[in-house]
Amino acid sequence: MFRIERDRARFREIVRGRLRRDLRSFLSSSELLGRRGEETVSIPVTQIETPRFKYGDNSEGGVGQGPGEAGEPLEADESQGDAAGGAGEQEGHHILEVDVDLAELADMLGEELELPNIEPRGDRMLTSNGGSYSGIRRVGPKSLRHFRRTYRQALKRTIASGEWDPRRPSVIPTAEDERIRCVKEQPKPESSAVVFHIMDVSGSMGREQKEIVRIKAFWIDTWLRKQYDNLEVVYVVHDAVAKIVDQETFFHLRESGGTKISSAYDTCLSEILERYRPEEWNIYPFHYSDGDNWSARDTERCIAVLRDEILPRVNQFCYGQVKSAYGSGQFKKDLDAALPDEEGLVTWAVEDRDGIPDAIRAFLGKGR
Amino acid sequence: MRQSSPIDASLRPWAERIEALARSAGLDFFDVVFEMVEPSQVNALAAYGGFPVRYPSWRFGMEYERMEKGRQWGLSKIYELVINTDPTYAYLVRSNSMMEQKLVMAHVFGHADFFKHNAWFKPTDRGMLDRMAHHGSRIRRFVDAYGQDTVDQFLDQAISLDNLIDPFLPARELARSADGLRPQGEVPRERSFSSLESHRGGGFNLPSYDVLGHLAENAPLEPWQREVLRIVRAEAYYFVPQRMTKIMNEGWASFWHSRMLTHGLLDTGEIVDFADCHSGATAAVPGQLNPYKLGIELFRYAEEKGMDLFKLRQVHNDTSFIDALVDEEFAERCSLFVYDRNPKSGALEVAERGWVEVKRRLLQGLSWGGTPRIELMDDDYEGRGELLLKHQFEGRELDLSEAGEVLKNLARLWRRPVHLLTTEREESRLVTSDGAEVSAASAGEIESSEAA
Repeated sequence: MFRIERDRARFREIVRGRLRRDLRSFLSSSELLGRRGEETVSIPVTQIETPRFKYGDNSEGGVGQGPGEAGEPLEADESQGDAAGGAGEQEGHHILEVDVDLAELADMLGEELELPNIEPRGDRMLTSNGGSYSGIRRVGPKSLRHFRRTYRQALKRTIASGEWDPRRPSVIPTAEDERIRCVKEQPKPESSAVVFHIMDVSGSMGREQKEIVRIKAFWIDTWLRKQYDNLEVVYVVHDAVAKIVDQETFFHLRESGGTKISSAYDTCLSEILERYRPEEWNIYPFHYSDGDNWSARDTERCIAVLRDEILPRVNQFCYGQVKSAYGSGQFKKDLDAALPDEEGLVTWAVEDRDGIPDAIRAFLGKGR
Repeated sequence: MRQSSPIDASLRPWAERIEALARSAGLDFFDVVFEMVEPSQVNALAAYGGFPVRYPSWRFGMEYERMEKGRQWGLSKIYELVINTDPTYAYLVRSNSMMEQKLVMAHVFGHADFFKHNAWFKPTDRGMLDRMAHHGSRIRRFVDAYGQDTVDQFLDQAISLDNLIDPFLPARELARSADGLRPQGEVPRERSFSSLESHRGGGFNLPSYDVLGHLAENAPLEPWQREVLRIVRAEAYYFVPQRMTKIMNEGWASFWHSRMLTHGLLDTGEIVDFADCHSGATAAVPGQLNPYKLGIELFRYAEEKGMDLFKLRQVHNDTSFIDALVDEEFAERCSLFVYDRNPKSGALEVAERGWVEVKRRLLQGLSWGGTPRIELMDDDYEGRGELLLKHQFEGRELDLSEAGEVLKNLARLWRRPVHLLTTEREESRLVTSDGAEVSAASAGEIESSEAA
């Protein structure tokens, strides 16, 4: 129905407006994290409901129908919002979600934080595997026969050879007339990027610190995904040793123990050397930690690896230090002192959730 | 614009048969016009409250989005939609099976009879389709003149007040005009509500529950804003009987579809499907109150007791109907219980099964159409031209944060501060808003000054 589509479009526009307006609060909350699909993020829109006089918390009870003795809990408890007050007269607490394209969300983020677009390094033409069936050749499977082209060819041949009889118009394709569709490969410029999210999971990184990392990682991915057609994400966790894990583990793992940051940098470097060669990939390692390292010697080693091996190969290396109750925050100081003039190195300290937007801007604001 | 189509040829003989059966059973209705629609179209219609001609609003788009999600995820399905007009339009969904179409058509005749005869629907405008279309074109014109955002913003404010009406007002007006108490020279009109809408200026006696009416006439508004407010109010009054009679209306329609279908309208092959579909619609979900189920049980109980069903459906609304019928035997037969949130465990629990308490809570939940009773006490509070509203507290507290937002909207319309007297944790509170901020204070002094 035409009219309802217009009202629906208007509604979605309003949701986007709210999202844009409230983006700051989304930037430091974990609300959107679990809501990302392949292409879209679903935004909960409870706050858009029209306020009306209605009953509050002390009137949750009501009348129901069914078995159960006094004191027995109701089944399907969560659906009770609708039944409260009997007969479903009150509006229930529906949560409606509206899908917003990730690209659109990235645009909003870019606008909000005034992020520059990234110029990919070098011009790489990569042949994508796809292509379309836009080519024609003379041999191939019959199922791909281009019917019209085949008959046109047969008609031409019939006329040219003088066999054409307008009174008995018949055209019979022979083997040479066959025209078969085939895949035409088209070289397409493709920009690829890989993000390394490296997180310190030693005992001093608490729940809140991980949550901050998680929120940052979400927005960074969202932004980079918009900038690159093909984005891969590698999750690395480390305490005294580093390992590559999947996304689920990355966000939920809680290790305890010492911290040897160099182990993580070694892992990152070997991944770059083996799988993500800088000639083909834009590389973005992000390292999050509370700033405690095992020893000053290990820190020296980290700095050496960073300066000599990693930084020359990556677009930008970001170190985000999250303040924790136990962390000393020494690592950032050491990095800043040792590598003061490195263009490709960004370090940033975050106190709490409110610092997340600034950290994101610091990391992505250079447009590298 | 119209994308529905007339009823399929295969259904027409059935429609005629069911209509004849309904009439012979004693149902009486305006002409019923069946239309066929696609599942997504019925959602669009439902989003517009049954009126595809309504004014444009993102709110309907939101409702549509919600219903379409529900449909796509297989959570909800609408079989039919019938609107209270003369002739009565009923939309059948094309994806229904033959058995479902028969059920739905029988159900529709039940609703159509109810619309025509129930006392609370008497004052409603049966030409609402035209009026809604008129409202739609008015608001579109305002959008053209003042811009979508301006009109939307005002509509948002107005709609947040749309339950500040007196559900009993139209019936009272109708009764008054029937008694010949109207001013002389004015012809008493059958549809008193249309005169109610065209009513201009003053004449409001306070206190009044018709807050929206008072605002529409007396708030300092631009002419177009006043008209928007009148439109919102007229539509709110049109829909209020549906809220007040949901259990009866659905019960009545279900009672008749079940009776008619089991009396010769089904093939033998359809009986099981019918039983499945019917019991699905009238199932008692544990802990919930299904209006179809409660309604049909009430009418069956009344029939058993030898009561005149047609009389009952004519004079009652949900509250008075339950008051008249629910007794110990009924509460026990339907396994009704009261539930509450256990303050210790935080879970909803069965509290008790005593029929008196069950009945009390049922009535409490349904009174005033299920919304809080808010009365406008004074429009010149303490001589400052401010509004004073009072929440008639009956044991259930308001959602105060939501109430604060409503008060803000109210203050913006009235352009002066507004106050709401309510009760929170057994204490009297005065919540005040000037349109930007909301504050709450203990209201001990006010009560004492009232007493004096």
